Amino acid sequence: MTVVLEAKNLTKKYGDVIAVDNVSLVVERGALFGLLGPNGSGKTTMIKMLTGQTRPTTGSATVLGIDVTKDPVGVRGQVGIIPEQETPPSFLTAMEYLEFVAAVRKIPDIETKADWWFDFLDFADKKNVLCKDLSRGTRQKLMFTQAFIHEPALALIDEPLINFDPIMQDLVKDYLAGYVKTGKTIFISTHILEVAEEICSGFAILHKGILLHTGPVAELSSRNEHLPSFFLSLVRKDRHV
Amino acid sequence: MFELFTNMVKEEWRVHSTMFGSLSFALFPVMIFGIAFMGSFLLPLMRTTLPAGNLTLIVHANYLMLGIMVGGFGLLGNEVMNRRFGQASLLAYSARSLPLSEKFIFSNFVIKDTVYYFFLWVLPFGFGYILASPFTGVPLAGALLLLLTLTFSFLFGLCGVFFLSAVYARSRPVLWLVLLAIGVGVGGFAAITGMNPVLFFPPLLLNSAFTWANFLISCAVLALLFGVAIVLFNPESVGSEKMYKDSFAPLMRRFSSLPNPPLSAKDTLDLYRSGSLVGQTIFSFLLPLVVIWFFLSLLGPFFPPHGLLFIVAVTTGVIASTMYTWVTMFDTFGPYACLPVAVSTLIASKLTTFAVLQTIPTIFIAAVALLSGEAAYLVPAVVLGISVSFYAVSVMAWLCGLSPNVLVYDVKVLFVYLILVGIVLTIFTSVAFANPYFALSAVILAIPTWLLVWKAKVRWDAVDPEGF
Repeated sequence: MTVVLEAKNLTKKYGDVIAVDNVSLVVERGALFGLLGPNGSGKTTMIKMLTGQTRPTTGSATVLGIDVTKDPVGVRGQVGIIPEQETPPSFLTAMEYLEFVAAVRKIPDIETKADWWFDFLDFADKKNVLCKDLSRGTRQKLMFTQAFIHEPALALIDEPLINFDPIMQDLVKDYLAGYVKTGKTIFISTHILEVAEEICSGFAILHKGILLHTGPVAELSSRNEHLPSFFLSLVRKDRHV
Repeated sequence: MFELFTNMVKEEWRVHSTMFGSLSFALFPVMIFGIAFMGSFLLPLMRTTLPAGNLTLIVHANYLMLGIMVGGFGLLGNEVMNRRFGQASLLAYSARSLPLSEKFIFSNFVIKDTVYYFFLWVLPFGFGYILASPFTGVPLAGALLLLLTLTFSFLFGLCGVFFLSAVYARSRPVLWLVLLAIGVGVGGFAAITGMNPVLFFPPLLLNSAFTWANFLISCAVLALLFGVAIVLFNPESVGSEKMYKDSFAPLMRRFSSLPNPPLSAKDTLDLYRSGSLVGQTIFSFLLPLVVIWFFLSLLGPFFPPHGLLFIVAVTTGVIASTMYTWVTMFDTFGPYACLPVAVSTLIASKLTTFAVLQTIPTIFIAAVALLSGEAAYLVPAVVLGISVSFYAVSVMAWLCGLSPNVLVYDVKVLFVYLILVGIVLTIFTSVAFANPYFALSAVILAIPTWLLVWKAKVRWDAVDPEGF
C-alpha cells in the first residue's frame, strides 16, 4: 500500500507545555483515518503540524511525499483542510469565497462545481449571503465545500460533523465513506467515538499529547470490542498512570 | 455591575499582554513617561524657536488626534464591533448569554476604552511632565493643568468620533449633514472673524486660563457627545443577512495586472462592504489630518517659506502608512491556513492594496498644495509624502508582519519604529526646508523600502503563522 501521510517523532512544545509528544503515525492511501482523543489531547496541534500551519519543535512529517516543514504551502496546495474553528472571510459571500478559493487553488469551472456543492449540501439559498451572516452550520458546509471542491488526494478535517444537524451528518458520513472508495484518503480528528467507529478504517488515540494506540478498527471488531469502550479503558488507564 | 467594567479592562490587558508578553506591554507606558520626562528638559531649548503656547498647542493636537484615532479605530459602528471581536467570545458580546443590555455593555466598553487608553497614553505623558516640573521650573499647578487638558483633548477626539460613528451607524446621509454643518460652522466662523477656530478648542482655552466656566463647558460638551452616542447606538439585529451579487470575479479580472489578484480583490471587498473605505478615510485619515493642518497653520511663521506644506506632506505620509492597518485588521492568518498561501504572499497582497489606497493621500497632499497657493511645489510635496508613507509601511511590515494593530503596543517594536521613521522624517523635512525641490530626493527611500519589505517577507515566513 502507498503511504500518503507519515509522521516521525513529531513533538510540539508551547513554552513548557508539550502539546504533542514524540508521535509517529502512518496513514495509507484509501484510508479513512480517525485521530481520537479527549479535549486538549493534541489532535488539533497534530493537524496543524501535518498541514504546515505550525512547525514541529522536533520530528518530521511528509504528506503526499512533501516535507511539511520544508514546503508547507506545497502541502496545503495538494490537500483539503477544514480547520476546527476557522470561518470563511466575513465580507465575501459564500459564492465569492468559493471563487476566491478556486482562484488561489487554480480550480477551473468553479461555477458548475460550486453549484453542485450548494445543491448537495442544501445551501443554494445562501450563496449570495455574506459569510459573516451565515449560521455556524452553513459556514461548516462552506468550509466542507472548500476542502473538497478540488477533489484532493488527501483531506484533513478537524471535527468534521461538529456543527451539522443529524440529516447533514448522515449525508456527510456517506460522502466521506464514498470518497475513500475512490482511492482518496481522509484524515479526521474527532472526539465523537461512535462516528469514528462507524466510518473509520484506522484510528489512533492521543491523550495528553502522547500516542496511546494506533491500528485498524477491524482489529477491534475481530475481538468483539467496541471503539468507545476501548478508548475509555485506555484513556482512563493512562490517567491513573 | 462594576464587575463588567473591571473584567473588560482585565480582558483588554490580557489581549495585549498575551500577544507579546506582559513585560513588553507594561513597558509601553513607561516609555511614554520616559519620553515626556526627558523631553521636559528640552523645553528651554525648544522655547528659543517656538513660543510656549505653540508647544502646548502641538501637544494638545497630538492628543486630540490620538483620541480620534483610538475612537475611529475601535468604534466605527457595528461592523467594527464585529470585525474587532470576530468569533472570539469577548465580554462585549456577553449580551448573548448574560442578562445585560447591548447599550449597557457598549457604554461599559467605551468607558473601558477611555480609562484604559488614559492610563496607557495620557497619564504616563502627564506624569512625566509633572515629575520633571521641579527641575524645569514649571509650576506644579501648570503641570497638573496640562494633564487635565490633555485628558480633555484625548476625550474630545474619542467622544467626537464615537458620536460621529454612532450617527454613521444609524444613517450615512445624516453623518454627511452633521459633517457639513460642522464644516460650514467652523469655516464660517473663521471667515467672519478672521480667527483660527482652533484657538477656541475648549481644552486649549482651559489650558491658557483655567476657569470653572471653561472646565464645565468642556465637561458638558464631552457628556453631550458621549450621551448622544449612547442613545444613538444601535446594535445590529441578530440574524440579519446581507446579500450581494457576485462582485469578486469581475473585480479580480479588473485587478489582473496586479500581483495576487484574488487577494487584492478580497481586500477591496472587505474595505468596501465593511464601510471602512469611507469610514476609515474620514475618521482615521481626513479628520486627523484636517485637524493637524489647522493646528500647524498656527505655526506657519515659525517654519521656513513653504515649510508648512512639507510638514503637512510628511505628516500625511506617516498617517497614510497606517492604511496598512486598514487592510490587515479584517482577518488573521487563520482563514488562509487551509489554502496554499504563505504569510509573505499575504504581506505582499496587503501592501498591493495599500499601494492602491495611496491615491487618497496623494489627492489630499495635492489639494493642500493647491488650496494653500503652492501649486509649484505640488510634485515635490506629493513625492515626499508618498515616499515617507511607503517607507513607514515597510518598517511596519518588517516589525509587525500582518499584526500591526496589536504589535504597535510592544514597546520594543514601537521604539524601533520611532527611531527608524523618526530619522527619515528629520532628514527629509530638513532637506525640504533647505530647498523645496530637494524633497524630490525622497524617492531614494524606495531602496530601504524594498529591502525592508523583502526582510519582512523572509522574517514572517520563518515564524508560525498562528496567533493574532
